Amino acid sequence: MHCLKMTAVEFINITKKFGSFFANRDISFSVEKNTVHCILGENGAGKTTLMKILFGMYRQDSGSLKISGEDIRFNSPHDAIAKGIGMVHQHFMLIDDFTVMENIILGNEITKGIRIDFDKTAGILNELISTYSLNLDINKKISEISISAQQKTEILKLLFRNSDILIFDEPTAVLSPAETDEFFKIIGKFKSSGKTIIFITHKLNEVRKISDKVSVLRRGMLVYESSNENRNLDLNILSQAIVGETVVKANTEKADIVFPGNDGRNAISLRNIFLKKDNVSRLKGLNLDLYKGEIHGICGVEGNGQNEIIDIITGLETEFEGEFSNPGCSISLVPDDRLKKGMISEFTIGENIILKKKSSNFISERLLDRISTETAEKYDVRVSDIKSNLSSLSGGNQQKVIFARETELESDVMIFSHPTRGVDINATVFIHSKIIEQRNKGKAVLLISSDLDELFALSDKISVIYNGAIAGTFGSEELSNFRNEELIRKSDESTGSPLSDKIGKLMIGIKTE
Amino acid sequence: MNTKFRINLISISLSLISTLLIVFVFLLILNKNPFEIFSVIFTEVFASGYGIGQTLFKATPLIICGCGLAVCFHASLFNIGAEGQLNAGSFVIALVALKAGSLPFPILFILCIVCGFVVSGITGIIPAYIKIKKGVSEVITTIMLNFIILALVNYFLVDFFAVKATMHTEKIADSNMLMKFSDIFPFFEGSSLNMSFVIALLLAFASYIFIYKTKFGYKLRAAGFNETASRYIGININKVILLSFFTGAGITSLAGINYIFGYKGFYEMGFSSNVGFTAIAVALLARNNPLGIIFSSLLFAVLDYGGLSVNQLVPKEIMLVVQGIIILSILAVDRIVKSYFEKRGIA
Repeated sequence: MHCLKMTAVEFINITKKFGSFFANRDISFSVEKNTVHCILGENGAGKTTLMKILFGMYRQDSGSLKISGEDIRFNSPHDAIAKGIGMVHQHFMLIDDFTVMENIILGNEITKGIRIDFDKTAGILNELISTYSLNLDINKKISEISISAQQKTEILKLLFRNSDILIFDEPTAVLSPAETDEFFKIIGKFKSSGKTIIFITHKLNEVRKISDKVSVLRRGMLVYESSNENRNLDLNILSQAIVGETVVKANTEKADIVFPGNDGRNAISLRNIFLKKDNVSRLKGLNLDLYKGEIHGICGVEGNGQNEIIDIITGLETEFEGEFSNPGCSISLVPDDRLKKGMISEFTIGENIILKKKSSNFISERLLDRISTETAEKYDVRVSDIKSNLSSLSGGNQQKVIFARETELESDVMIFSHPTRGVDINATVFIHSKIIEQRNKGKAVLLISSDLDELFALSDKISVIYNGAIAGTFGSEELSNFRNEELIRKSDESTGSPLSDKIGKLMIGIKTE
Repeated sequence: MNTKFRINLISISLSLISTLLIVFVFLLILNKNPFEIFSVIFTEVFASGYGIGQTLFKATPLIICGCGLAVCFHASLFNIGAEGQLNAGSFVIALVALKAGSLPFPILFILCIVCGFVVSGITGIIPAYIKIKKGVSEVITTIMLNFIILALVNYFLVDFFAVKATMHTEKIADSNMLMKFSDIFPFFEGSSLNMSFVIALLLAFASYIFIYKTKFGYKLRAAGFNETASRYIGININKVILLSFFTGAGITSLAGINYIFGYKGFYEMGFSSNVGFTAIAVALLARNNPLGIIFSSLLFAVLDYGGLSVNQLVPKEIMLVVQGIIILSILAVDRIVKSYFEKRGIA
């Protein structure tokens, strides 16, 4: 009864909801033993949620989990660890003032009588270090070692616990290219020693280097799975799977607008911008112009400089080189992370809006209730009690409140960063129509997204950002050609459109022509 | 707001009840009759006009100082420096009252308040500035500033302003003292309760409006809840830190008027008897709501005065123990109550 391929983990119809938002929806796939399985997807696609379910930190709402063919229900990470599952989180869980060894054995001490047997422990650890070439000094304190050494400490912790299934949540995000290469070598050794590796990332080029198999999640759903035999992954196919190639056209049909005086009304202009943060170059000679009555889409893998552009335009970042001109335009922003940057969860709708709205210095309960009610009606915010805090609203409704606050200001420049992330379909349709409305009112709109559908549906112009600079810009002509082709192409799905191909390549730094 | 208010009320009541139970057991262990002790406290505090008057008198500086701290706490600025701040301001109030004693009383009084407020406010701006410029936690700087300010006040008092062989300034003119309650209501005969209490109540209402009903109050609370979001929303965080520290510290200076204008007529070293620290607990118990602070101040005043009255039965320090238990049980019960409601999706 020896199967050629054994299954290490099997996800069967996993669904996990947070409120009304599906973080994971009906996900089924399996991870084979002794392979490196990459899980790809944008932030918020549901990768981490799925892994937290596997690691016993969350419990799925429905669906089941099999480890080595056995039905499993974890109550806590303890259960998962006992089953040989180990996870290296994005944020390390280490105690700074403890040594590497002390951190590793914490909770799994080898004892001699009532004393911890440090000699024996050190022997075991050093053997593991040499087996896997970890190159780590176990007697150094965590506060004294580099980030990559801290990561190795986390890895060693898993090895010490004899984990067979190792989950890495975006492990390379904190590593330099050289460290990444070293990390991949370690992964290789794990594989040759018979371990199973699940590797979460949103960096495409890494996937090709190490993965045996790839699953792509988008908006909580499994949208792509590589076949078992095909080791030569097509990055374009992957990038399109991540950001979405199948065009789900909602009611965002773009009306032709009549904009008086179409002759280049420059709102914001960035010229040759360089920005360094913590000694890392974030922007490298970036050029960007925003015109009134135009939606300028910015497309790119996250972390290529999108947030830095926002910070410069909104004035939060001033330590940059280059020329930034704003002829007195007021600016509104719908930020990418609404919980962290967009709203005060402890405040009601009205209270969130009054923070930016012009009003007298004294604010009455009646005024707040009126604002809340009006906003809820006008922006279709579904809320049972007008006095309840924003924290009790669903993600989509929270986003509508932020939208209401920002668009009601009637600013000249509107920045929307991932406006529909973590938002259900209905709210997405609504938000898209509002973005178009802003454009039709003659606002200069900057739309930052990693969702190609969204960008194609809304933008007048799309720029691809890569590594802190604009890698290419596509004007309205190319986009409308694309839209027309798209209608024809619908019947013949086997061919990719040349434009999305081109954009996909630019996103990962490959210049065509 | 309403459900939140209800949950807070439940949590506070439960923590007070659990405190009472713990103290009850505690007294039993000490082989004291808890009923006897509670009844002595009750009769001493509530059965005479003097008892009520003294309790309200003791509550006055707590209300004032608690309101000042509430302003800081709402902005998530954990100001531990009220003791120093209020002494700096009170000292200045007493000096101005002495030097400008010939001015008509209303003008003198307002001048004293403004001077005290500004001086205390400046002592609050120091930690705010260090926090903004260098990112140093205000907890550390305000604790340290307590020592510095108290030492400086001590130095100026002893070397320049104190009456010989005492630790206090000269007494201000009797005509410049605030009216005592017992002057109008003989019911309060003998107690030190004075118009400062009314001022404290007005201040609590003003602070409530400032925090919950003004635009700046909303911004201050927003910054306290979520600094990053507030920055993106366009709130000037540095301004919030500076202004709330200035206002909060400034308010604490007014705690001195109860003693200076209402009771002794001079500034005395140590007059505040740790009001600046007790007020932290007072503000926390009231969830930093100034109207709630009136009640939590009254509770602490009852404990304080009640402690004196049962001194013959149990050491009065037991009331410090009670205060400690209250704070601990608030922290513990609050967590339990909140998670109870969260699990049921109410909060």
